[in-house]
Amino acid sequence: MARSQVSNVRFVGLSNCVPKSTIDNLQVSEADRPMRERLVRNIGIRYRRKCRDGMIFSDLAEFCARDLMAKIGWAPETVDALIMVTQSGEYVIPSTSIILQDRLGLPKTTLAFDINLGCSGYPYGLYTVGRMIGDNGIKRAIVIIGDQSASEGAADQGRDILFGDACSATALEYDPTAPEMYFEGFSDGSGYKAIYVPDGGKRNPLNDKSTVPTMWPDGVVRTSTDVVLDGPAILNFSTSVAPLAVQSICEFAQVPLSEIDGVLLHQANKMINNTIRLKLKLPSEAVPESLYDYGNTSSTSIPITLSHRCADRLVQPGTKWVFCGFGIGLSWASLYMEAHGDVYCSPVLEV
Amino acid sequence: MELDEFVGRFTESVDFPEAVEITPDSVITELEYWDSLAQLGVIVMFELEFQMTITAEDIAGCSTIGDLYKLSFKSGN
Repeated sequence: MARSQVSNVRFVGLSNCVPKSTIDNLQVSEADRPMRERLVRNIGIRYRRKCRDGMIFSDLAEFCARDLMAKIGWAPETVDALIMVTQSGEYVIPSTSIILQDRLGLPKTTLAFDINLGCSGYPYGLYTVGRMIGDNGIKRAIVIIGDQSASEGAADQGRDILFGDACSATALEYDPTAPEMYFEGFSDGSGYKAIYVPDGGKRNPLNDKSTVPTMWPDGVVRTSTDVVLDGPAILNFSTSVAPLAVQSICEFAQVPLSEIDGVLLHQANKMINNTIRLKLKLPSEAVPESLYDYGNTSSTSIPITLSHRCADRLVQPGTKWVFCGFGIGLSWASLYMEAHGDVYCSPVLEV
Repeated sequence: MELDEFVGRFTESVDFPEAVEITPDSVITELEYWDSLAQLGVIVMFELEFQMTITAEDIAGCSTIGDLYKLSFKSGN
């Protein structure tokens, strides 16, 4: 069972950014408006950000990392590790974090690699890197999280209104006075077809038909390089596993759910997130959201929600947080942590 | 839950863009605005009202609203 603690690691700070370019999901023709209003009302997503004019995810990553290092006063030469959790690499290979080591002016003594995870990625990123830090380990690390998954004008409307581009960078540091973090991770590969891109990997290499739109058995028109989303399966999965994962991490940390200052869920959609919250019997103010303004921002939806809704609370020492990510894989994880010392939390910055 | 109340909850959960007459004998897939979003609404309704996880296949196995109502009794609710 993947249950583990992270000792002597302090959450130093968080920077978040999104592209300036905004899409309003309600900007459709008069004829389409009633159905679109219904979709927005139920999915809970009004605005999304999208990279334009050649901007790509690693540009957001570079911006966040620079803002973070400047605000918390870390000289580039003091950074020991740069880890990216993303599915939006600059190239198929190599890992984008290695390219950024050079671009950010980090020393060659910096270790760097990418982790291929989506919506469950924030707890995994903090845990993986947190465990690398210690008395006998590295001392300072930056974890970059996020994806470039916004689309516009796709035939698959259910997917098209969902995703927004965003990125965050989190700083973790060795600190023997820091309170323990608690982590649990889970996987269910039997459900991988609920969220996947069929073509372009080794199983189904790109071919002449990969980019030809066709009608799928679920009645949706898409190409084999688009993300396939099985809405009902994702809903069933998320509302089953997330409430249990939140309860389980609280038991592990021995902190009652009622004492948590913020339960930050991956921002999937309003139907999923409300159902999880109601199953946990939590009031809406205990479960902050960023869906309406930024959409589903993949692995960085938890950090974006922190910056958007909780920046004033995250900087208060002793505040207790549960982060729960769930989605593509299928993969899910939760992490409990307490704020300690001076924490920096940026607003949602625009690039 | 009584059948009348169930039909009311169903109507709320599918959130059709305009009023559609729904009776226990209505065939689900023939409802004018029945779509994937409506399907998600019904799954959420079962999760919250009956503490039951139903799949898209479970819904597809029901012809009418009345059949769906019977499904809600399967776990003893």
